[in-house]
Amino acid sequence: MTGNRRVAVTSPQTRLAHARRRHRGRWRPATLDPVEAPVAIALYHRQRAQALAALGALVALVAGLPLLLAAVPGLGDVRLLGVPVSWLALVAPFPAMVLLGFWHLRRAERIEEDPDTPAPGRGRRSGASR
Amino acid sequence: MIVAFAVAPVVLVTLLIGLRGVAAMRTTSDFLVASRRVSPLLNSAAVSGEYLSAASFLGVAGLVVKDGIGALWYPVGFTAGYIAMLTLVAAPMRRSGALTVPDFAEARLASPSLRRLAAVVVLVISGLYLVPQFRTAGLVLSVVGGTPYWVGVVVAGLAVSATLALGGMRAATYVQAFQFFFKLVLFIVPALWLVAEVGPEVRDDALRPAEFTEFTRDTEVVFRAGATLEVPPGAERRLPDGTTAALPEGEWQVPAGSTVVFPAGSPAPELRGETAPGAPGWERPLLDVGDEGYPLLGTWAVLIATMLGTMGLPHVIMRFHTSPDGRSARRTAALTVALLGVFYLFPGIYGVLGRVLVPHLYLSGATDSAVVALPAQVDTGAVGALFTGLLTAGAFAAFLATSLGLVLVVSGAISHDLVPGGLRQLRVAVVVAAAVVVLLALPAARFDAGTLVTWGFTVAASTFCPLLVLGIWWPRLTAPGAIAGVATGLAGSSGAFLATVLGVPADGWVAVLLVQPAPWSVPLAFAVMVAVSLFGRPPPWSTAAMLRLHLHEHRRSPFTDRATPVRDLGHSSWSARRSSAVRRITRRLVR
Repeated sequence: MTGNRRVAVTSPQTRLAHARRRHRGRWRPATLDPVEAPVAIALYHRQRAQALAALGALVALVAGLPLLLAAVPGLGDVRLLGVPVSWLALVAPFPAMVLLGFWHLRRAERIEEDPDTPAPGRGRRSGASR
Repeated sequence: MIVAFAVAPVVLVTLLIGLRGVAAMRTTSDFLVASRRVSPLLNSAAVSGEYLSAASFLGVAGLVVKDGIGALWYPVGFTAGYIAMLTLVAAPMRRSGALTVPDFAEARLASPSLRRLAAVVVLVISGLYLVPQFRTAGLVLSVVGGTPYWVGVVVAGLAVSATLALGGMRAATYVQAFQFFFKLVLFIVPALWLVAEVGPEVRDDALRPAEFTEFTRDTEVVFRAGATLEVPPGAERRLPDGTTAALPEGEWQVPAGSTVVFPAGSPAPELRGETAPGAPGWERPLLDVGDEGYPLLGTWAVLIATMLGTMGLPHVIMRFHTSPDGRSARRTAALTVALLGVFYLFPGIYGVLGRVLVPHLYLSGATDSAVVALPAQVDTGAVGALFTGLLTAGAFAAFLATSLGLVLVVSGAISHDLVPGGLRQLRVAVVVAAAVVVLLALPAARFDAGTLVTWGFTVAASTFCPLLVLGIWWPRLTAPGAIAGVATGLAGSSGAFLATVLGVPADGWVAVLLVQPAPWSVPLAFAVMVAVSLFGRPPPWSTAAMLRLHLHEHRRSPFTDRATPVRDLGHSSWSARRSSAVRRITRRLVR
């Protein structure tokens, strides 16, 4: 633990600058390289479609289940291993949500790497994040 | 004793891990977002550890005891929020390169007033969320160990501010990630032990809810706050000398601070305005907010508030900024859903067992402590004490982890957004914020933790959720629109809470929508934001600013074939905002 201790190495000037009150500079508008604009637009549209699909599935699951439970009160009398099915229905969304999450994650990462995107230098597989 | 053994190790380990995280720290980015070097797995453990607050560890089971099985919709909403986060916010938000939510608002819309407004909203949400954490810390210690209420509050405040002031976000990350696994073990093992130990009759009772009408054994109820009970005929209390005395039938005002022992076989009084645990409707898997008879509306209202509120919780969003890039932020969100899903399988077990074994807690409004009260009911010996200690330690870890993130966000809002300053000011702000919260929590013992936390979620859902979603996905959003929407959401949700607190008369679905305003306040905030934006004209760079959030970092630059990744324009270390020598010289040459 003491072996690889990191120590701040700064010049006195830098230290002074960091300690001082900082003034944020003038705000500058965000820049988008014109060459990259088509990529960004394509990514935006495809990610939006994917996000809406995943969100739709989530809303159907999370809003639909209470509706189902309200519409079919008889589920409380059906028992599975002694536990009312309507109680189990409150635990069932968790595995479903985990699957939905990983499905969306995979699709969203595919979209970023997708060869179809009209990219000048598209989707290099990143070494950093895997 | 139990307290010393349970809480001291948690506090010590928190401080030790915190010290381990103290690395060379020089800039605001180092302090607030751990230099953005946190891997998805570590980060998702930290997000989950931070997120599993007292409300999850104790509150959900307590609500199940009090309101019924439908309270298990809260964890569903809490988890669904991360799917919404994953799909809508995580990656683009991280790519904005902001350090805090107000930072993001300014980066996207270039409005200092929006930044200040957002900082104020951060303070409101954090306050609503922090006070119940500290309060529950004090309450649990006093229930388990008999210490005065203020001891727990002050211990929590000291541990949080020391860890943060020294180690900042890096320390908080390690502490929270460790505490997630700590809490997971300390929640699952006692649950399994309880189920195995209670015996077949209790297990069977737990699955067939019956109304709590009679004390099955001598039961001591401690009324920390005063209560109004409806005493049925034949109810008795045991006097200190061991004899029993009949209670007068009818209304009974129990003064605060009194202890009543009910003998076995006595009919149970009812708490005015509440239904007893196990009463008809308890077993219904829907959440009847305020017992108004609109269970479906109530369930949806709570789901909307928790799901969309999660997306706007400033301390969760700040954790996502510690990811190195947008892609890891997205992975963090997906892993978080899985980690939370494991934890949330268990509060229901404590809830149904608590209804059988400790239903009397509802008389004194202390169902929050059902989880820690259970082991002593099952085993009065050393094993029961051991598990009580383990659960207390877990609960304390829950307060600490959540409070760490929240105090950090408060200090960020004050010292990065409202009054920008350097690292030293951030550290001072941490200590001051913790002290203020301790002072606020001291008189708050009688507030219901669940209510306050749900208010925090609702305010987040009606302010930051529209701001982030429209900021990321709608190029036409303007700064006046965003300001109007955030202000409307804040006014609407807090107005409804004020009406609830002041006791404005309402019934039916109106009452449900006053107690839980999310179903109207969130759409209203969205509508105001869109309408005001459509009347204005977005600045010319607006579309570029939005599209840049969707451009992933690890693309190849069109100008170079070198293997180096493109400079992340959004990263704060590339100082687009500060003057540099290079830019100064360039300007001179160009001019």
